[in-house]
Amino acid sequence: MLSRVAERVYWLARYMERVENTARLINVHTGLLMDLPREAEIDWFTLVSIFDADVFYHAGYEQISEQNVMHFLLADTDNPMALIHSLTALRENARTSLDILPEETWEQVNELYLLVKEEMLAISNRRRRQNLLLAIMERCQTVWGIFANHMSRNHGYHFLQTAKHLERADMTSRILEMASLLLKENRSDPVRAFDGLLWTHLLRALSAQQMYTRVNGSSVSAESVLDFLILDGAFPRSLFFSLNAISHHLSLLPLPENLLATQKQVMHNLLNKNHSVIPAEAMHQRMDDLQIQLAELNSQISAQWFYPDHTSV
Amino acid sequence: MTHLWRDYDPGDFYDELMVDQHQPRTFSYRLLDHLQSMRNDAFNQRVAESEVEILERGVTFTVYSDAGNIDRAWPFDIIPRIIAKREWDCTEKGLIQRIRALNQFIDDIYNDGQIIKDGIIPEDVVMQSKGYRPQCHNMRPAYGVWAHICGSDLVRDDHGTLYVLEDNLRVPSGVAYMLENRKTTKRVLPELFKLLNISPVNDYPSHLASMLASLRPDLNNPNMVLLTPGIYNSAYFEHASLAQQAGLTLLEGADLLVGNDGYVYMKTIHGLEKVDVIYRRIDDDFIDPLVFRDDSTLGIPGIMQAWRDGKVAIANAPGCGVADDKVIYAYVPEMIRYYLNEEPLLPNVPTWLCREPEHLHYVLDNLPDLVVKPANESGGYGMLVGPHSSEEKIAEFRKLLMSDPNNYIAQPTLKLSVSPTSCGDKIAPRHVDLRPFILSGQSHYVTPGGLTRVALVEGSLVVNSSQGGGSKDTWIVDEALLGGTS
Repeated sequence: MLSRVAERVYWLARYMERVENTARLINVHTGLLMDLPREAEIDWFTLVSIFDADVFYHAGYEQISEQNVMHFLLADTDNPMALIHSLTALRENARTSLDILPEETWEQVNELYLLVKEEMLAISNRRRRQNLLLAIMERCQTVWGIFANHMSRNHGYHFLQTAKHLERADMTSRILEMASLLLKENRSDPVRAFDGLLWTHLLRALSAQQMYTRVNGSSVSAESVLDFLILDGAFPRSLFFSLNAISHHLSLLPLPENLLATQKQVMHNLLNKNHSVIPAEAMHQRMDDLQIQLAELNSQISAQWFYPDHTSV
Repeated sequence: MTHLWRDYDPGDFYDELMVDQHQPRTFSYRLLDHLQSMRNDAFNQRVAESEVEILERGVTFTVYSDAGNIDRAWPFDIIPRIIAKREWDCTEKGLIQRIRALNQFIDDIYNDGQIIKDGIIPEDVVMQSKGYRPQCHNMRPAYGVWAHICGSDLVRDDHGTLYVLEDNLRVPSGVAYMLENRKTTKRVLPELFKLLNISPVNDYPSHLASMLASLRPDLNNPNMVLLTPGIYNSAYFEHASLAQQAGLTLLEGADLLVGNDGYVYMKTIHGLEKVDVIYRRIDDDFIDPLVFRDDSTLGIPGIMQAWRDGKVAIANAPGCGVADDKVIYAYVPEMIRYYLNEEPLLPNVPTWLCREPEHLHYVLDNLPDLVVKPANESGGYGMLVGPHSSEEKIAEFRKLLMSDPNNYIAQPTLKLSVSPTSCGDKIAPRHVDLRPFILSGQSHYVTPGGLTRVALVEGSLVVNSSQGGGSKDTWIVDEALLGGTS
């Protein structure tokens, strides 16, 4: 497999996972804000913070409003974290990997792109925006379905899966960072009053509510939610699961030893800590650290397979 | 609302589907009967479906303009163009005859130059060709074949004669669009395939792959790649789609290097992997900065030497563009007689060579009736269509011809044939041409039909997609299997 093509399918998967996660997060968050009182410190801007884009946002927008935040996160072509940006990159990578992906991939991705471009004009309309976000999630699931059912388990497939789980772990850690708001001792009374609702929200943002309930019943507590999202071995969006999957798919690529060592270190750091009783700041720090480690893993993948030093033959 | 077909009238032109205003040809009767029995809204519904289909499948080509590069949806007309199999069988023979002679010519030019010594073609005509590459001398590619993939443009005049208008030998494009057109027709008008026996076209990619593999008779399972200039090239869609269907690795110059052992390698996740056959879709000008343009960032330094040493096969072979020249075109019938000792089965369009003083004299006297073409342009650029041009434009060409006659040829303005085409509120006759694709390696293969291009503007003769032309699915239909004439 060509190094350049490997890089493209890798980023195709990262962007596709990012598009889907972004759509889900915004969709769920919109639902949550309908339930929360206005004075709660969780608002539209919380979304911007999850993407670490506070500075970037203030550079382009004066006011914090639903309208502005939605434009920034979905449609702003200047914002590298915006959904439209990820989607455009996803489409470009699909267009340039036509020869190794199942042929339906390009058509699905292109249709998604055309749909989003058309509906972007209507995102200030909450109902249409929510419908669009659902359609985006569905389309991404369709493409993963095509990969699962039509693609040989070759190197291209393992790059796709590695990238998906790496992106997913990154997004899960970002959403868990938001959990630090809920762990704060000095959180406001409205937030305190809605503790249960907010933990449920966290689960929903990761598509985890139903699977969580099957394990833990309907009672929701900080300890059990964190335990599930970080350490559950069976749920495919927990950090533990994603890191395990990364290791599995890395091991099937050529000469993975260095990468596996790094992955092992990340996993070790994660398992080595007790997550159920921690202060808000520690949670924040821990997730930040994880994101840095994942970024390091990403650059090692790039150096190993995409831009290796070809000593001439 | 009047029926879309009500005022259809091809007038003086030869119509591909109609004998006259009312009477379909024997092989198009069933198609027209079906289409004309559709209500306007039902027909327009199919047109709309084809447009959505093409947009969603992302079948695009890029138009370069001052305002930047634009990805346009591939323009497609849903009414197919039909050619009877009987006629096509002869055309196919003629195309193979022609490419055999052209390949012998190229091989001759870069080796003995016998055709020049024998006085059939003047040496300076060969030297003036922009595709002539002295670096290719004394090369003998497998089977003596240089132009492995050729796209010849055919046109039909008002008497129904098919002529060869030009032979595209460098990096001809369009074949993926031919495949896409057929896919679209199958999705939008599936019922038609029950009515008629239409020759399938979708095995082109496998013929392409076996032709490429045949270029390395020394290897069992050669490693084959398609070299593209990248996503900003107007034909990128085609490159990707052919690579996918023919099982070639799609790559760019930066993915390749020539090793110290002189072989060509691609950069993979395992390290370097040897490449045996390159289907290149970049001009030979750009292929090797050590040999040709040294400012090229698309090419691979050292690849020409690897090719000369037989360490990699390149299709089409560097230098084959020498025969893709409008002056050399005029000599192709002579080449066929010279190399094959046969009479040409397909005629050239009558051509005046402006380098010949008496021809030039005639051309200058008759400019308003003629088409004048520069020797080395493609895509319909830099030409004069006398009957459709202003006096100023004609005067401008008069000057060009007098100052640089060697660079021009002239041809009569053909009354190009027409075919029924959907034009919004009506079906109207529009001019068409045809580009079949011919593969040459160990053996020959011709696409059944090819890509029909159509000038969408009323009266226009310009079919190039870069200048607003459209395209049609092309059917080769066996009349013997129609089950009785009507």
